[in-house]
Amino acid sequence: MLNIHRLSILTQFELNRIFKTKNGLIALTAFCAVWFVLLYYVISSATDIVFSDTFKVAASTLFGSLGLSALLKWPVAEFSIYWLVAVYSFPIFTLLVTSDQTCSDRARGTLRFITLRATRSEILLGRFLGQFLILVSLILLTLLACVALAVARDGALLFPAIKQAAVLFVELSIIILPFIALMSFFNSILSSAKMSIVAGILFYTLGALLIGFIQFQLNSGLFLNFIFPGTQISRVVSLETLDFYHYLIPLFQTVVLLFVADKLLKRASI
Amino acid sequence: MSLLNSQTGPLIQVNNLSKSFGDHLALDNVSFNIEKGQPIALVGPNGAGKTTLFSLLCGYLLPSSGSITIAGFKTGDANLFGRLAALPQDAQFDPRFSIAEQLTFYAQLQGFSRKKAIKEAQRTLELVGLADTFNAKPDELSHGMRKRVAIAQALIGSPDIVMLDEATAGLDPINAREVRELVASLSSEITFILSSHDLSELERLCSQVLYLEKGQLQQHQNLQSEEEQRYLTIRMRQSYDDFLSLVGSIANVQHIEQTQSNEFLITSSAISLESEPLDLQILQLCHKQQWQYSQLTNGKTLENRLF
Repeated sequence: MLNIHRLSILTQFELNRIFKTKNGLIALTAFCAVWFVLLYYVISSATDIVFSDTFKVAASTLFGSLGLSALLKWPVAEFSIYWLVAVYSFPIFTLLVTSDQTCSDRARGTLRFITLRATRSEILLGRFLGQFLILVSLILLTLLACVALAVARDGALLFPAIKQAAVLFVELSIIILPFIALMSFFNSILSSAKMSIVAGILFYTLGALLIGFIQFQLNSGLFLNFIFPGTQISRVVSLETLDFYHYLIPLFQTVVLLFVADKLLKRASI
Repeated sequence: MSLLNSQTGPLIQVNNLSKSFGDHLALDNVSFNIEKGQPIALVGPNGAGKTTLFSLLCGYLLPSSGSITIAGFKTGDANLFGRLAALPQDAQFDPRFSIAEQLTFYAQLQGFSRKKAIKEAQRTLELVGLADTFNAKPDELSHGMRKRVAIAQALIGSPDIVMLDEATAGLDPINAREVRELVASLSSEITFILSSHDLSELERLCSQVLYLEKGQLQQHQNLQSEEEQRYLTIRMRQSYDDFLSLVGSIANVQHIEQTQSNEFLITSSAISLESEPLDLQILQLCHKQQWQYSQLTNGKTLENRLF
């Protein structure tokens, strides 16, 4: 049985890790610097180009061929480009940022102090929630910056921008969930953050090859792709025909990965 | 109310406990019970399985077979949080957070409010003489200081059982003595389980000994048993040629043997209420012969009991 008090203390401590430690603040500064460059030089410039009269036809053809025509109809142009950048970069960023949930503490022995005061399930879930809150804070930060960028171009875009930001906030928050859970899973069996990242890379490369091979042999087996977090991204990126099914995949992946991670962590030697 | 007040039966119950790492059997069918009370020593040579037993008792490892119950609960049970504390060997604090933040975090997990958790962290640091390191980062402290902070974390709240694995290893003599004094001063409220290679330290603190060797429990002794009253250990300042013969000729001495250089173990015969106590007779003999002794101990030394 999970204790809500202990769970909230564990989650808060994870937030302190990024917002109250020197290393965390340095990482946060680096994140802000990267996103400043992306917003100012990539998103702002690309918005001007894609929606300029000169390139409008070419952009329409390009987006249409990629099945992204709906993005060109968004009232706040900045968010069309922001979304294309964020929907692919945040999952990768999530894998990197959440690669050390329990493994460093386990290697150092710090987890031994904590397991005398909280169950392993609480530690796993508390850290997962902490990482999720950190990432949604960062997503929110970039969305607010994007709102500011749009409003700076045209003050009348404030309310459409906030509305669009809210939609993207929910979408991105759901998309990153299974990626955090994947790292929770790797952390429960591996002893370092680096190894978890390597495992993540191998999972997406060798795993994809293996599943491709199985599908080739069976002439079917598309369902196997569901083991990969983010498998639904290519289908939801246009945000055109979303249904509950699209949310169910990442949520189901998250629950399964956390369940398996919990079983493994409970049996692990610490 | 203390957890232990509400439970009956042994404080710690270990039944047929075994732990293997691959082909290596680190702990082999160990069974024992520990009652609440005076500190208990866990002794054994390197590789005997002491740390494995500690880790199993704390729930860091799962047993290969057998069972452990602590105060009636399985290891890792939430009912033991805040009641069972430990100084795990080689466990380190997170270098990114100050000592204050980490001890406060642990106290909060044990149910303290943030304000009370800060006070509790200060209190436990004062107990180990490190109040001035409250805001320091672990890397700013020496090895000995970090170990004392780790002891402080074990004393957060009001634990019933505290397991200290090599608590004084690596500490200078003054700090080691302070840790011993701390354990002695708290032993009326807390049942300590100590592992150490310093037998004299364990002898001073503990009333029971668990002796492990090659993963097996070889002995489980009570140091304060009545049987112990039959023995005296005397350590002389120098060698005296006729010591063995003269002490051996005292009527109440059943047997005397040299256990180490200048150290002798004396076994008394059945004690008669009418005769003068044996220790007094021996001291009188020393005075008469002008022999210098450095220590006279009731019972066997722990070393003599075990080896």
